[in-house]
Amino acid sequence: MAEGKTIRLKIRRQDGPDKPSRWEEFSLPYRPKMNVISCLMEVQKYPVTSDGKVTSPVVWECNCLEEVCGACTMNINGQARQACSALIDQLQQPVVLEPLTKFPLIRDLMVDRQIMFDNLKKVRAWIPIDGTYDLGPGPRMAEVKRQWAYELSKCMTCGCCMEACPQINARSKFIGPAAISQVRLFNAHPTGEMNKHERLAALLDEGGIADCGNAQNCVQACPKQIPLTTSLADLNRETNKFAVSRWLRK
Amino acid sequence: MSSVQSPYHFLIRRIHSLLGLLPIGVFLTFHLFLNLSAQGGAALYDKVIGTMRNFPGIFVIELIVIFIPIAVHAVYGTWVVYTGQSNLLKYRYARNWFYIIQRVSGLYTVVFVITHVWALRVGEASFAALQHLVTNPWGLVFYALGIIFAVFHFANGLWAFAITWGLTVGPHSQKIWSYVCTLLFIVITVVGLSDLSAFLR
Repeated sequence: MAEGKTIRLKIRRQDGPDKPSRWEEFSLPYRPKMNVISCLMEVQKYPVTSDGKVTSPVVWECNCLEEVCGACTMNINGQARQACSALIDQLQQPVVLEPLTKFPLIRDLMVDRQIMFDNLKKVRAWIPIDGTYDLGPGPRMAEVKRQWAYELSKCMTCGCCMEACPQINARSKFIGPAAISQVRLFNAHPTGEMNKHERLAALLDEGGIADCGNAQNCVQACPKQIPLTTSLADLNRETNKFAVSRWLRK
Repeated sequence: MSSVQSPYHFLIRRIHSLLGLLPIGVFLTFHLFLNLSAQGGAALYDKVIGTMRNFPGIFVIELIVIFIPIAVHAVYGTWVVYTGQSNLLKYRYARNWFYIIQRVSGLYTVVFVITHVWALRVGEASFAALQHLVTNPWGLVFYALGIIFAVFHFANGLWAFAITWGLTVGPHSQKIWSYVCTLLFIVITVVGLSDLSAFLR
């Protein structure tokens, strides 16, 4: 690799939720096999912009560094993805880094994705097995079902699908594809299935499955290749059956 | 956890989807096929219109089968457009294009249908009346776009209908169904535009 080659970063900075945003550019000496996180670490060590202005270190979040936690999700060259698996050698320069736009901003590239956790609570994306006595082993799961359900369990609540979804914005209450797909996962589980009516009922609410606009960006944006649109269509069928059946039995 | 359950939200969205096909989509198809009679000349066309207009109870049928469903679909659809926010510049996928065209075509069709009903249903409907409208180049463009957008909205809506009702679950069936919807779009658009061409002679 050529000596003196540089990596150019263009970062959207913002000091706080109510502060104005600004662009800052950084030039780093090139090293092979860098990712966006290692570039941000370089900026942290030497927070000086390309024009020599001393600035504050850029704030970002990261954790696992192997694309399984979702903490470092940000807009990289306009697309939501994880900074840890965004390799500089595969990116067009300058590498433009922006925070996710569908979540409240905390600072720089750090956002508050609490809403995703709240949505998981809304749809009861867990299996209630806690009690005062040992319930014993649950029913067995068919292997074929386990195979596709495992794909859904790869969701790391990173927010790429939320960022890509045109139905998620300030005017809409849509809970997004991630939480809805988790309903399919927990309803597929033999023990989880016992409470599937609770999860389906939650999907009938405002912001539920009916708010999907079928733009299908989610399935393209998902870094884990989760079949989100299949989950959505499958749950359309399930919620239709559930809503009719519940009304007829009223 | 959600404290109040409001299943009416789900219900209205499903009604909105259903109305798009039954009766609106079926009516649109029938309407465009019937108007092929314009190809038979002014006399035949006016005779067909006369038969339709003097059909017993036509006002009640129009109100229940056409006017109310379209009004509900249009008003709620406008709300749906408002709750969306296109990001086509960042995510340039075909389906994302269809998402925005579906909304643009829907809004255009609302304006078109109001004008169309005002001019030819409230006003006088005849071969000559429509001919007068489309001999104006702007009127012709307005009508041609009205047909293309309305049919697109129906065909693409039918694609989404199959997902909303849980019929095409996987990506493969959705793709095959999109070919069927494309074919439907082409056929009905050709019929609609040949209706229009009859008034240009």
